Amino acid sequence: MKGFKKYYGQKIFWYLLTLVFAVILNFVLPRMMPGDPVSAIASRSINGMQDSTAIQKVYQDYAEKFGINKPMYEQFFIWLSHALKGDFGVSFSQYPRTVADIISSSVWWTVALQLPAIIVGWFLGNLLGAIAAYIRGVFDKVILPFFLFVSNIPAFGMATILLFIFAIRLGVAPSSGGYGFDLIPNASWVFVKSVIAHYQLPFWSIVLITIGGQAIGMRSMSIYELNADYVKYSRFLGIKDRKIVGYVFRNAMLPQITGLALSLGTMIGGALVAEIIFSYPGLGTTMLTAIKGQDYPLLSACTLIITIMVLIANLVVELLYGVIDPRVKANQQD
Amino acid sequence: MKNTIKQVFHSGKFLVGFIIFFIIFLTCIFYPLIVRTDPLAMVGNGNFFAPGTYISQEEAATEEPYSLNVDASSAKLQAALSVDDLSAMQQWLIKYGGVKESDIDVTDAQKMAELWQAHYDSTVAQPGLIAAKKKYYVRLDKKITAALKDSGVIIADKDADTGALTESKTIKETDFINTGDISNKRTFILGTDNFGRDVLTELISATVSSLKIGFIAGLIATAIGLFLGLLAGYLGGFPDNLIMFITNLFTVIPSFVILILISYSVGNSARGIMMVALIIGLTSWPWTTRSVRSQVISLRNRDHVNLSKLSGHSMMRIIFTDILPYIASYVVMAMILQISSGILSEAQLSMIGLGPATTKTATLGLMMNWAMQYSAHLNGSWWAYFPVVIMIALISFSLNLMNTGLDQVFNPQLRD
Amino acid sequence: MGKTMLEISHLKTKYITRFHEDVYAVDDVSLKIEEGKSLGIAGESGCGKSTLALSLMGYYFAPLHYISGDIIVDGVKISDMKPEQVRHKILGNEIAYIPQAAMNALNPTQKIISFIEDVMHAHGIKMTKKEIYDMARERFAELGLPEEVLQKHAVELSGGMKQRTVIAISTILSPKVLIADEPSSALDVTSQKMVIRMMRELMEKGYIKSMIFITHELPLLYNVTDDIMVMYAGQMVEKGTAKEMVFDPVHPYSKGLMGSIIVPESGVRERKLTAIPGTPPNLKNPPKGCRFAERCPYATPTCSAMAIDEKVFDDDRMYRCLMSVRKIREAYGNGDGE
Repeated sequence: MKGFKKYYGQKIFWYLLTLVFAVILNFVLPRMMPGDPVSAIASRSINGMQDSTAIQKVYQDYAEKFGINKPMYEQFFIWLSHALKGDFGVSFSQYPRTVADIISSSVWWTVALQLPAIIVGWFLGNLLGAIAAYIRGVFDKVILPFFLFVSNIPAFGMATILLFIFAIRLGVAPSSGGYGFDLIPNASWVFVKSVIAHYQLPFWSIVLITIGGQAIGMRSMSIYELNADYVKYSRFLGIKDRKIVGYVFRNAMLPQITGLALSLGTMIGGALVAEIIFSYPGLGTTMLTAIKGQDYPLLSACTLIITIMVLIANLVVELLYGVIDPRVKANQQD
Repeated sequence: MKNTIKQVFHSGKFLVGFIIFFIIFLTCIFYPLIVRTDPLAMVGNGNFFAPGTYISQEEAATEEPYSLNVDASSAKLQAALSVDDLSAMQQWLIKYGGVKESDIDVTDAQKMAELWQAHYDSTVAQPGLIAAKKKYYVRLDKKITAALKDSGVIIADKDADTGALTESKTIKETDFINTGDISNKRTFILGTDNFGRDVLTELISATVSSLKIGFIAGLIATAIGLFLGLLAGYLGGFPDNLIMFITNLFTVIPSFVILILISYSVGNSARGIMMVALIIGLTSWPWTTRSVRSQVISLRNRDHVNLSKLSGHSMMRIIFTDILPYIASYVVMAMILQISSGILSEAQLSMIGLGPATTKTATLGLMMNWAMQYSAHLNGSWWAYFPVVIMIALISFSLNLMNTGLDQVFNPQLRD
Repeated sequence: MGKTMLEISHLKTKYITRFHEDVYAVDDVSLKIEEGKSLGIAGESGCGKSTLALSLMGYYFAPLHYISGDIIVDGVKISDMKPEQVRHKILGNEIAYIPQAAMNALNPTQKIISFIEDVMHAHGIKMTKKEIYDMARERFAELGLPEEVLQKHAVELSGGMKQRTVIAISTILSPKVLIADEPSSALDVTSQKMVIRMMRELMEKGYIKSMIFITHELPLLYNVTDDIMVMYAGQMVEKGTAKEMVFDPVHPYSKGLMGSIIVPESGVRERKLTAIPGTPPNLKNPPKGCRFAERCPYATPTCSAMAIDEKVFDDDRMYRCLMSVRKIREAYGNGDGE
């Protein structure tokens, strides 16, 4: 039990440290650009916004927020103290909305889309990979090459394909947005139905991409395990195949969990871009607007929130893994 | 060495991947030699011309026609009447024309038009039909009459002084011309994009740029990864801990985020193809570092390495003669993966508007970005983005196949 | 003479490789073990002794295939049974197996006790969890294994402990025949001793009725088993009691094999150590005649020309050679200058 506590302690500490680094990177990198963000605001005040009071307001806001002319480390702490309070300033491109307001309205769309999609894709992919490893034959000849190819289609590519087939050609699904453009978010039945309809295509394009990659990984992992010594030994003890297949899949599945943790960042990156195809009101689309509108504070907040989300997801996966795989426990005792 | 290469090419997976990649590669080299037009020349005035051959209308009109005994009105009708029109006709005919439903075949435009002409009368009482709909039926009737009429198109010459028109030629319905006679024509196999550029030519040149980006990024990432992995794996102890700490850091912080931050930070003006490749290379090394390190660690305590150490060989010599040759295959595999992920990274970066900020060259990501900006995906101009998606998938598919093939040759355990 | 526990006659099995070639790893082997006896099988690596171990159990899966021959376990001819029937009725409770690599023989993510439960259930034994636990604990204690092992995962055990656990699990149903394939080769000396002691205990306490012990370490056999059989290129070349085989080998190969090892017995130790020159034949195309002919110092052209059968001498000893025992002994006498 002591080993477990140490394991958890170390993991959590490590993730906190990573978070600190991520926050520092998030602060430092944009400040290395030619002309820092604040001078970017100044330049925008000349040719960007139309509303002169808005320019004044935003500029003052930032002058105060960034503590211009102060040394870098002081600026960092000023920025940090604001960020901790959830204050990321005012958006350039969507004035007078605050960045925190924009983020909080888009982050849940992303979470609600990507979390279930990745989990479902991961689960289905592993199931399919396991079956493929067990059956072989037809699977290896036809379905596997197909999935190999599908897994190489980028997420946004899959998004365009689904969009073309189901929204443009068949017209069975809406083509863009998170809900009908004629609706205002409310708790009505019509709105919920519209949200569900708009959810389908982005959801399935992420699921399909995830399935492809996971199935292939799980298949080779299972084949590797099927050749393991314990399989042979269990057979010679008269244990039934069904039981042995159970051992094999459990053992093959466990590394897939770590694999998920490691590839989560890449997967989310791809899924964010897929959001853009559907103009889904999540972080991906928000990021695109931020970049198009030279909206530095919004972009920076987006990247920070994505990093934090990935870190949390990773931590959860790793902690979960520690509980279900005894090999981790054994390593802690060494 | 020769034997290894032979073995590698015996792997079916590697061979398929290699052939696909090689075909793409050859196309990239030979296509520009054959089609010498500027890939980014804006040929079309307007956006998203559908794939097909475009012939000069003027030349077609002035060319001597061939008269063919072909019933052209049927095809014309088919083109003129949409599915909606046909079903509207069916409704009217049943409701007000007194035609039995079983007598109507909606798929045959010719028959429908005949039925229509026989039964339609705009003056008949049409209860339950709104005025707009009534007008629609009148328009439809005119359309059908026009399509069935064989009046031909009259070409007239304009007198320069008086401005009077004199008929010089009538083009009849049965007049055809041979496309081979037309000298002014242009074929766009994949149509044109939003700027009116030939998608196929653009695609080839974009593939070249994307492969360049992938290759440079892969080279940089592999070089950094190899260096750090060797250092960490061979030295162990503190350098190992430090390098692994940084590597883990960059594995957990999504590289996509760092890619966005750096790309945004360097600013639009500095972001050329090389810069994007550099940024991608600089953010994707952790994977290579990890795998190189674990390989080196497993090698570090092998007998031949220990022997070299005992013989007092320098670290450089041990690395170059006792370690590198053994991990070479892994490094090549890691590099192949880096190239394919580099191409994908560029595409994703371009999609959110942080790709190479250049109008002089196209990349696969930029093509995708342009198509999306001009809503090609919403107006059904599939030719502007599907070829790009398929190209990215094919490149990545072929590279991954080669990687799997190599893996199976060098890790016999994975053989099925 | 005790009851015959395991008898195989003229067993032939083959491997089919990835390249669809046949490798005849066990070619016409016969043997017999009686209750309370143990048999050692020795030979160079690649001589087919591990394959023989797998073939003895009568359950075949790719790449190993059965060709012909009989396997009779305690009067039941299992070579006629359906594979699934063999697996359900014979494996684990009639014949038990201890694999070469105990390191990976246990499912890493399962508790030992849960694996034991699976073994029990596989043979239709209706016992509650509690009963199984008590029974396993008792058996483990008898064999000198700590009770905690039951609640651990395989990854948490040391190498020697893993091997002993595997032995305990294999014999938990008190099988009639135990087939141990190099159970101690991968271990350090202390663990090796413990494993050997455990094997002896199993026999003494009656948890197993007979044993086949396969190894390339001949001295081990001399101390552990009653009889020794030497294999070469998929065939038996000689069989006798441990003592006879070590001190009076007849077949030129056995002679060479004994000559190339050190037996910790005074008198034997002074013997010269000699290696047998050459390599065993390729089993994809085994030679028609004597398989050892190419390496045999006494070979004549006839040796390679005709197939050689097993012959019995001194009542219960067997060998496979063209020469008569008398001639061989004479040759040794002259050749060795003993």
